[in-house]
Amino acid sequence: MAKEKAIIFDAGTIITLSMNGLLDVFKNLKEQFNGKFLITEDVEYEIITRPLKIKKFELGALEIKQLLDENVLELPSSVGIKDSVIQEKTRWLLDIANRTFFVKEKYIHLIDRGETSCLALSELLSKKGIENVISIDERTTRMLCEKPENLHKLLETKLHTKIRLKKENLAYFSKFKFIRSSELVYIAYKKNLVKLKNENVLDALLYAVKYKGCSISRNEIEEMKRL
Amino acid sequence: MPKNEGVKEEVHEKGNLLGILRNALAAVRKEDTVKLKDLSNRTVHSASIQQDPDSVAVAVIVYSLSKIIERQKYTSYKEWPKFYKNYLASVRCAIKDLQSNKLEKFREDLRDIQEGINKLSGKFKQYIQDVFRKAEINKASRVYEHGISMEQTAKLLGITIWELAEYAGQTGISDVNLTVTMPIKQRLKQAEEIFNS
Repeated sequence: MAKEKAIIFDAGTIITLSMNGLLDVFKNLKEQFNGKFLITEDVEYEIITRPLKIKKFELGALEIKQLLDENVLELPSSVGIKDSVIQEKTRWLLDIANRTFFVKEKYIHLIDRGETSCLALSELLSKKGIENVISIDERTTRMLCEKPENLHKLLETKLHTKIRLKKENLAYFSKFKFIRSSELVYIAYKKNLVKLKNENVLDALLYAVKYKGCSISRNEIEEMKRL
Repeated sequence: MPKNEGVKEEVHEKGNLLGILRNALAAVRKEDTVKLKDLSNRTVHSASIQQDPDSVAVAVIVYSLSKIIERQKYTSYKEWPKFYKNYLASVRCAIKDLQSNKLEKFREDLRDIQEGINKLSGKFKQYIQDVFRKAEINKASRVYEHGISMEQTAKLLGITIWELAEYAGQTGISDVNLTVTMPIKQRLKQAEEIFNS
């Protein structure tokens, strides 16, 4: 029997795809994926509930809502994880994450509920033996987990001050795996799931997601195109 | 945080905001929009570390002033003279109240600017609201650039992740080498593994 698997989506990834008119590609990816595409309730608020009340983003929110209605996107209850359990884990991780870097005696509030709820869900899925990755386009959460030393340097450089770090907190964040919308469109392209046909499609897809908020550098894009 | 550290920080922040607002008024007199933008950016460090609403509000108000002065077309609107006079009067009151340690009054003065905008009408109101919204997004992008997450930044500035993502994507934030946290081949392998397993 195939191992259960899931991709957890932070708000940014879905927003990037929505703003680029790529939700059909997202649907095609789901059809090819033998597992779940999950969002937490905190993320649902950012990509559906809140933008539904803002005229500029109402259409995007409606389109994403339809993905949820059609079970392309699902809530963690679909894999037997209650929101209350995610909330509790989120609070715990949030407290650690936001007490990791500090200036003098002041902790820097780095990340918020939506991003942290993705980490919480990932941990809960792993405990249930469900293979998973988190798709996140913003850089801070990814840096905290994958290369906290880079985040430390970035904070010191940008804030022009000595930042102290509670190294013992970092272990809680080192186990998560991340991809971005850039990797999703790359896979979609390689699997022939993008209808548009032109020699520049991959270039166009990667720059499109970058310009709508996916944290990917030009160098990374150019390297991806050569692979 | 130890009590005296907190007090020291507050005093430092108060001094910082006072300096910024005083210099902003001087820059307004010279119509120096570059100086106004620079002053607004100076609040970004404290807005990122302290994440206090006062620093954020001052950053937005000073940046909006630079944009309002820059676009001369606003002066042709009938409501302009009164709006501008009240705007600057509120900034002067804010300086006076902050100096006298009347923090609640200071915050009211800043809110008065927003209320002044709500009282405007027609296209002029839309333009000024737009200036303030764009100022919030611009400041959010700067805070995100300083290392605070996208969601936390959006919350701090009262904007949506949709607005911030769109704006931040147009900047060079993601081209900073430090943000590359894994070789691209390895990340693609991670993505391919989950899809092909």
